[in-house]
This record gives sequence, structure tokens and C-alpha cells, in this order.
Amino acid sequence: MLGAGVIGGNIPSLAHGEDGSPQPTMIIDLNRCTGCQSCVVACKSYNKTATGQFNTRIIQGEQSSPLARATFVPVQCNQCSAPPCIPVCPNDATFKLGNGIVVTDWDLCTASGECIRACPYDARASDPNYQDRVDKCDFCLDRIEQGMAPACVEACSAGARLFGDRARPDGEFADYLRHSPLAVRNPEQETGPTLLYVPLS
Amino acid sequence: MKNRDTSLKISPLATRRDFLKNSRDFLSHTGLLGSFPKGSTLGARKLGTSPRKVQQTTVLSPGKNSQVVHSVCLGCNARCGNRSLVKNGKLLHYSGNPFHPYNHHGMPTPYGTPVQETLGLASPVCGKALDGPNYVYNPYRLIKPLKRSGPRGSGKFRPIDWKEMITEIAEGGNIFAELGEEQEVDGLGHLQNDENIDQEAPELGPKRNGFIFMSGRMQSGRKEFIDRFVKGAMGSCNRIGHTDICGLGFRMGNLALSEKKEVELKADPWGAEYILVFGANIYEALQPGINTYGAAVAKRHAQGKVKFTVIDPRAQNSSTHATDWLAIKPGQDGALAQGIIRRMLERHSYDKAYLRAPNPKAAQRLGHGCYTNATHLVITEPGHAQDRKFLRMADMGGAAGKEEGAAYMVLNGDGSPLPFDTVPKALLDEECLLTLASGQRVKVKTSFRLMKEGVMAHSLAEYSQFCGISKAQIIKTADQFASHGKKAAVCQYHGAGNYPNGTYAAYAVAMLSCLVGSVELKGGYLSSGGAAASASQGIYDLKGFSGKLSPKGVKISRENADYQKSSEFRRKKMAGGTGYPAKRPWFSFTKGGLSVESLSGIDAKYPYSCKVLFTYFYNPLYSTPGGYRFKETLQGHDKVPLHVSIDTCINESNLYADYIIPDVTYAEGHYGWLTPHAPALKFTGIRSPCIQPLTGSTQDDRPFCLETFLIDLAEHMGLPGFGNEAILDTGGMAYPLHRAEDFYLRGFANIAHGAKVPPASGSEVEYVEANYPVARFKGILSPSQWRQTCYILARGGVFHTYPEVFSGDQFESGLRRIVLYNEELATTINSLSGDFFQGSLSYQPPRDAAGQVVAEQDSAYPFALITHKMNLHSQSRTTSHRYTMEIFPENYVVMHFLDAQDLEFKDLDMVRISSRSNTTGISGKVKTTSLIRRGCVSISAHYGHSQLGASALPVTGADTVFLGGKGIGNEEGLFGDPKRGTGINPNLVSRLDEHLGYTPLLDLTGGIPDFSTTRVTITRES
Repeated sequence: MLGAGVIGGNIPSLAHGEDGSPQPTMIIDLNRCTGCQSCVVACKSYNKTATGQFNTRIIQGEQSSPLARATFVPVQCNQCSAPPCIPVCPNDATFKLGNGIVVTDWDLCTASGECIRACPYDARASDPNYQDRVDKCDFCLDRIEQGMAPACVEACSAGARLFGDRARPDGEFADYLRHSPLAVRNPEQETGPTLLYVPLS
Repeated sequence: MKNRDTSLKISPLATRRDFLKNSRDFLSHTGLLGSFPKGSTLGARKLGTSPRKVQQTTVLSPGKNSQVVHSVCLGCNARCGNRSLVKNGKLLHYSGNPFHPYNHHGMPTPYGTPVQETLGLASPVCGKALDGPNYVYNPYRLIKPLKRSGPRGSGKFRPIDWKEMITEIAEGGNIFAELGEEQEVDGLGHLQNDENIDQEAPELGPKRNGFIFMSGRMQSGRKEFIDRFVKGAMGSCNRIGHTDICGLGFRMGNLALSEKKEVELKADPWGAEYILVFGANIYEALQPGINTYGAAVAKRHAQGKVKFTVIDPRAQNSSTHATDWLAIKPGQDGALAQGIIRRMLERHSYDKAYLRAPNPKAAQRLGHGCYTNATHLVITEPGHAQDRKFLRMADMGGAAGKEEGAAYMVLNGDGSPLPFDTVPKALLDEECLLTLASGQRVKVKTSFRLMKEGVMAHSLAEYSQFCGISKAQIIKTADQFASHGKKAAVCQYHGAGNYPNGTYAAYAVAMLSCLVGSVELKGGYLSSGGAAASASQGIYDLKGFSGKLSPKGVKISRENADYQKSSEFRRKKMAGGTGYPAKRPWFSFTKGGLSVESLSGIDAKYPYSCKVLFTYFYNPLYSTPGGYRFKETLQGHDKVPLHVSIDTCINESNLYADYIIPDVTYAEGHYGWLTPHAPALKFTGIRSPCIQPLTGSTQDDRPFCLETFLIDLAEHMGLPGFGNEAILDTGGMAYPLHRAEDFYLRGFANIAHGAKVPPASGSEVEYVEANYPVARFKGILSPSQWRQTCYILARGGVFHTYPEVFSGDQFESGLRRIVLYNEELATTINSLSGDFFQGSLSYQPPRDAAGQVVAEQDSAYPFALITHKMNLHSQSRTTSHRYTMEIFPENYVVMHFLDAQDLEFKDLDMVRISSRSNTTGISGKVKTTSLIRRGCVSISAHYGHSQLGASALPVTGADTVFLGGKGIGNEEGLFGDPKRGTGINPNLVSRLDEHLGYTPLLDLTGGIPDFSTTRVTITRES
């Protein structure tokens, strides 16, 4: 079970973006997330991922103390600083963009599946509709290009998903960067996730 | 594998690679989109990152091949706004409506913003709405009318010509001779008859009442249209809603509190500091929905602005943020509420100053727009003619006029009785003896005292035992609630009161907000702000028409009818008895919408027989607890001689219909003007279509749907209110009602006129005309009316923001008076026992019609069965939501892991659930959790369908009858897809009442059906 407990410290300083380019960053505040699944449907509907495959999903868990309660952790690719999925690819098909987003070039992907096995977050899956080439969350790159937020962010009515430019933060996103107790998923993996969480208080 | 996009009949617009090639052109238009800086994010390697097709969601300059329409969702009944993107005639995507307060925490885009400037703005909607296109393009949707071609329930149907069908339903006759059913069936025309339906009981009304129209999901717009047909044109009183299964319980509590003025009170999610959540599934369901209420609570919780305690046998999803979860015993909300009140009374932690204010002026001086009758005196003298009634000035003598004589009396500080409106402060917790003008000496008590007596009837220890919550926890909750004063309120919904005697549970829960003085104050217990303007009046009169009939008599459900005035009562009394019991209960004190008791009435032919039943968007056999009982009702030709269903699909109930008329979805029609549920907001959302109808059409090109059907029936029968010269404007000009738009566009024009919106700008008129399918009918309105109507069409309604509805902290549209003692309820008589109902709080466990406590009778069944809704589903019609079914393919029998351990069950074990009423039972898979009370199991609604595509059906010409065509059927029938029938339907084991014709358990006060009292045994499936 992945609950709030495995979300911890060690926020990496970003190694990319030295050229001043935008660093698209997502913060997920678990104190706002209602587990409503709207982001999951929005992602399915927008990215049309293969049946049973999700570029973002919500891990539902339970805590028994101090108070019995449900827990919801939306998860997806962490856009790691040191992504274990990259070095294992036999064809250099997966790589990191200058802005920090990890992508897969489907012209080069031969569906070896190495990156799927290497990802400690179960954030990659092969798509049988495209000869098992590997799909993953890329923060809806095409939407960002148009100045739009990723589909999951737009669909979040509680505003639990905040999205902004870490190089030039502003508004509520900037407040969160400055004031919130930020954490990442499974820091012990030492992959340097850049997807940030505010754990349940 | 089949290409997913084709199967959806949606052509995606571009691959990501295509997009990247063309991105420069797009970028020049994107100034409005979101907050993220646009630009080259691709970085060093200029490669296409994915050939994946993605779904276009936004168009900034729609009009040619793509359209954007602002409308109102119908994924559930919450009424959020939506914005559709249509390309080449296909609905591709829904997002929220930036103008709608439900999508934006009460603070949407300023209403006057030109619509073209908002098209790029982000606007959220919930997952049900996002899955909407899969509902619209559901392959199992009907597109042609069907006639039964085999025995009822066999699933044998054949397509029938529209006009032939209209004739058969209107005229009846030997219409099923082809099946060897040689009986004459009354058509609707036979019911245009003003003779008494029962010669021995004229109060039941005319034969017209043999026409019964029952609805599932019905909303304003279509509601008025249906009423026009059923009541105004046919003259039947039997247009029956389904408020009862929707959630009559909590509404009955609010009905009692507000003296029948308002039922939709809830805690203010944008202003409350502390909310007691009683059986309201705020993160998974509710009205307003999760996109609004749950989202607001969650966001403010994260900001430290609101805390809440969840009271529910199941730690619903909102437990994730709750301060506490009180795992209450099902059906015992009243015990807990009264326990909390008892603690507040003992600690004097209620708002005494507020309760002592005896009139509106006195309350206003304390900052309240709403006063209570806590100090008003009630005569409590059994046997006295005025017993249980308020002491009025006339009783004391000396009153001049009628109004003055009706004034309530209170006790002044010195104990002297005075009219309530003459003192600023009255005694609260008192009783005394007074001498009336008649010379009689009677005992009087304040409403507060009567409320208190009801509460003090049990000790805290007893309440703790009844509800299964420790005394310490009750005390903690009471103290926490009271400490927030006017910024505390309850949010009660389905769980609080949807069971026998739920009226009193919900009244006690509602009383909590009254005691802290938060009713109709910002941050407190708020009612709905209602509509922005009237749809039925202004320019066109959509209510009245020449030849309009006034329905008379008693509804088949006996709601809002008085048994004491019936011939049955008189006869029984004359025969020497007390007159009681009635054959089945009557409900003179109810909000109404009693669908379950209507079905029971049809089954029992009581108080009269049904002749023609229309069911609309309604699936009672599936969605009613114990609905399985009515299979024999719908099957019985003597009970339902003619059954016509209007629906989008073949469901578990219209499987028994004689005719099924296909209907459009909310993307294609299903027009409406939608007003808010509580709390606070004031608006009228406008629903208009975004695509052309997908159903077939008549020879004159009107879509097969509800409106076309009722219009054609009415015109065939020559009913008033339809056809030529059916609608009058204020100048006396007459207009036809020949198609849906004739009615709805005029309603929209009334709303635009009444709300005094400005005429749309030229570019906004152009926008509407280029994007909205309804613009095709603009000629129905005058050019100036059309121009004003375009203003509200463009924005999807008329909306007020949250701050606008308050004056200071007072909610402007709020109630002016609430009651601790309800005189009407107190003087209402239980039609079975002949006893008075209680007028104030009274703890009552769920009982059957014979007054026996169900839990005691069913003690051999160790588990209490409850149900719950899931965040991605509506009650019964979301199995077509493809992404939802991918995320949650089935449902489970959710039980506590320790209970499972005792029974040696583990996750996914198949088990059998049986009850006293269904000993055979049903089977489902176990899921264990710590988030449910021990001894309870919960099964979600939504699953376990046998129809809606789940089964093969012998429908002749299925390949042309259903939207999915040859993909889902052939000439002989429908193939059926078992994936649409996964999981388990808890309503199939619900408890029936053995003392009431084995129909579903029922609350005898308001007619609330039971959702919490069934007890079950769980065994391993062999």
C-alpha cells in the first residue's frame, strides 16, 4: 500500500533548465484530493491510453491510526531527475527533455519493456494498440505547448493538482513552493522525483 | 484489437506529431489559455514524442467545423455547467462552464465577460461528466420505437411505425391480437372521462386518474412539459416523481423544520467552520455534486478553514480529511442527534438568546433573518379540542381581527401570556396552566419544552447504546459542534433518515443547526437561492392554456391526501369501528414524490386501478430497494393494462413494457432550466443541445423523443395545450406547440426577459448561431427576443455568485421562520394506527407497518446491509461510461476485515447474501476493509445489471433498432455484453414489509422507503 507514509523529504534541486527554459512542475496536495477520479477519467479521455492502462491513477489506501480514514494518492510518472528508465533502454528511445519531462520516442521504441521493469513507480506500460510501445505521462506535452494545463490539472475541481513553472513560479503555485511541506514519492529509490506532494496532515 | 477511436465514433483531431508540426499556427491564438507560459518546451531533441492520438478539448475560434456549446450536465442531478466541443457533428469532449458557480467554488468568470474571451479558460467537471460522450454514443441506445412482440418480460420487441404506435396508444383496442392476447386494452383516449373512477368514493377523482405517469430522472423544463400533458391536458393528478428513493428522509426533517417551505437545507461549504456530515457522501455524491460541495470542503479543509465529522456506518471517502469518523449503526441517526442535543441542553451550549427571540423583529435585532417558534405556547391537554395546537390570541379572548386572533402566544418575562409579536424576549423552557377565554383551564408548554421532553426521554447512555457511538464520543462531538456556534451546521443527506421513522431522525439532525442559531446565516444551514427568473411567465404563458384541466382527486400514492376525508374511512367508521387501519397508508404530511408507494398502490389497485402507465427515464425494478417485488406488478396485465416507457435504453423495468419510445440524451435535447439545490446559490442553468439527435425522426423531421411523442399523442387525441394556437403571449397572440423547441425556446425567452439580461452583442449572436443547434429554430422568437435569449444561451444560464446572495451575513432568499414544534405534523394522524404523530423530536427506531422493530425481528440475520454511491457513477445508468467501468469494473460486498476473519472470508471470495425477504439471495465478491462499522456490509449501487446491454435480447431487427447497429446485434436480436452486467445489486435483497402486502418497507409519516434496515446472512458461495 502506498499511503502518505512513503511520501518523504529529499526534494531534488532541479538539474535541468539551466538555460532558463520553463520547468513544468506539478504539486499534488493530498489535503485537497477527494479521490474523485476526475483526473483519471480526464487523462483517459484525453490521452486515450490502452484499456486497463492509466498514465495517472489514484492509489486508494486505508489508515487505521490515529483515526481510521481513507487515503488517496494520485500517482503518475515522477519525471525523475535520475530516471532509472533511461539508461536501460537499448535504443535510447526514452530521454529527458530540456524542461525535465521524460518522454519516449516511438520511432525508436522497440517495445523491449526494459523501461517498464526499471521504473520503481509502475508508471510505464506498453500499449497493445501501438505494437506494445511504451506509454507514460508526459504532463500532456501538447497541451503545455498550447499554454494549457495538463488534462488532469484542469479536471481537478478541488485544486489538489497545481501546475506551474518552477523556474518562474507565481500565484498559488509559488505559495505552495514556498510555504508547504513538500515531499516526493519513495525518496529511498533515489531517483530524484520532481513531482511534488503535500502529504496528508 | 479494434481501434478505440472508431468504436467511439469519434475521430480524434490530430496526433501529437501533427500538432507539433502545426503548433506555430496554434500558438498565435493561445493568449487566453491557462496560466502556464506557452513556448518551446521541447528542448534539445526536436522529435515527435508520440504518435498517439490525443483528444482535442478546446477550440478558440469555433464555428465552421467545430462548435462549442455551454449547457448543463446530466451525468447526475447536481446541475453543474458543461461546455462541449463538437467537431464535424460529433461530440468530442466536455469540460466545465466558466460562467457556472458550481464549477468554480461559487466564484465563476464575471457574468458579463464576452463568451469568446472565455473559450480557453480551464473549467473542471467531475469524472461522470468527462465520461459523458460514452453515455451519448452508448451503442445500446434505442433509436426506433418498439412494440412488445412476446409475453411481458420476454425481451421480445419489434420496431413499430411511429404513427401506428401513436394510434395504438391513443386508441387502444385489441392491440396485441397478433400475440394471441385477445383482450381490449384501454387507450389513453378512454381515460378522457370525467366520471368518478370509483362510484363509491368520489373524492378519488375522475377516471382520468387511471393514467399514471412515473418518472425517474426528471428536471425542470421537461417537468413542466410533462405536467402540461399529464395534468393540464389529460387531467390526471398522477404525475409521480421519485423524491422518495432520491432521498426523502433528510428532506422530511427539513420539511418539518421549515413548515413545508424548504427541503434542501445544507451546511454552507464556502463559509462553515465546522460541519457535521450526517449520511451525506460529500466526496462521492450529493447535490450539489462532488465538483462543487466536496471540492469546496476539501479545498477549505486544506486551508485550515473548515473541519468536519463524518457520521456514517462506512468511512466514506471524505474520511480522508475528516476530524472524526463516527461509525454509527444504520438507521440510528436520530438517536445520535438527540444524544448530541441532550448534551447541548445539559450544558446550555445552545444559542439561548436566539431561541428566546419570539418574532422576526426580535431575531433581526440579533442579526438573524430567520426566527424560531421556540417560545411559542402549545396547548397540551389531551381530549381538549385545541390539544396539540398553538395557543392563539383568539383562545385568550380580546382579539379584534382574524389575523390578530391567529397570533401565537408567548410568556413574557413575568410569566404573563402575550402575543408573540409584542415582546422582544420570551420565556423559553416553560410550562404552566392558563385560563382560556372560554373559562377552561389548560396546560401549555413552549415549543422548546416539547422538543426538550422528546430529547430527555432517553439518557445519554441509552442514546449511546441505540446508535453504537460511545458516550465520550457523543459528548466530544456535541461540544465541538456547539463551540463553533453560528459557523456550525449539519449536512445531512441520503443516509440520515432514509428509513422508517426517518422523518424524526432527520428532524433531530436538522434541529442541531437551529440550536446553534446558524440557520440562513453565512457559514450556517442554508436553503437554496432558487431560480434567477421564471421560465413559465413573462413574455409567454407556458403554464396556462385554453381548455386546461385541473386535476382532481387522490394520487395513487395517497401523498398529500387525508385518509380521514376518504369514503373508506367513513365506511369503516359507520360499520362501527374506529375507521382504522386504512388498507394501505395515506400521507398527508409529506414532500411527496412517492414512487415506491405508487408502485405498491398500482400493485394493490389501491385506492383505484391503474389503466395506462407511462414510465419516463425510470428503472424502478433496479433502483428501488425491494424493487424486485414489482416485477409481478409490471408483468400483470390486470394491474398494468397498458405500459409505455420513454427511455434511452431497454432497462430492467421497461423490459416489461408494451411500447418503448426512444429518447434523446442531454447532448441532443433534453432541454431544461435548472436551479440549484442548497446551499445559498441562485441561478438558472440553461440546457440546450450541442449535437443533432441520434434517434430516428418522424416524416416531418422531428426526433423520436419524449416531447415529440407527447405532442403527437396530444394532437392525435385533440387534447388542449398542444398543436396550433397552444401557447399565448402576454399580448394575446397564439403560437403553435408542434415541436419541443416551440416550448423550450419560449421558456428561455421568459428567463432572459425576467432576469433582465442585456441583448447579446452582435458577435455573441453570431457565436450562438454558428455553434448552437437550437439556433436553427430562432424564428420561433421575435428578433429582439432571440437576441436577448442569445445572451443566456451563450453563457449556459443566468448565474449569481456566492457573495451576491447575502446581505451582511444573512442569506437573502432564506427561510423567515423555523419550528421546534410543528403543529401540522402534531395534528396529523397515522392512517394505520389512528394515533397522532409527534409534533417535535422523538426517538423512533425503524419499525414495520405493524409497529414492530425490524432489527429485533431479523436478529437471526447477523449483518446490517447498507448501500453507497461511488464517485464515478449515477444511480443506475452509468454502466455505459466506458472509462468508469475501466477504473471500477465491478463492485463488492464490502465488510470489516475482522468480520471477514471470523467467517474465514478473504478478498474476492464469492459469497451469498440473503435476507428474510429474499432467502435465495444474491452473490458477490468480498472486499475487506477497516473503514466500515463491524456488523455492517455495504454494497454500492450501479452494478449487477441484467439489462442496459448486459443480456442478449430477442429484439427483432436489433441491428437497426440500437445505435450500435451491427456491432451489437443482428436481425434476430441483441448479442449482449456481460461486462455491462458485472457486480451485484443490493436492492435485490431489501426487506419487504410482511404486514403491508410484502411491499418494500416504508416510513408511515412521509412515505420514505427504506435503505438502511435490511439485515442479511452471508455465506460462502458453494
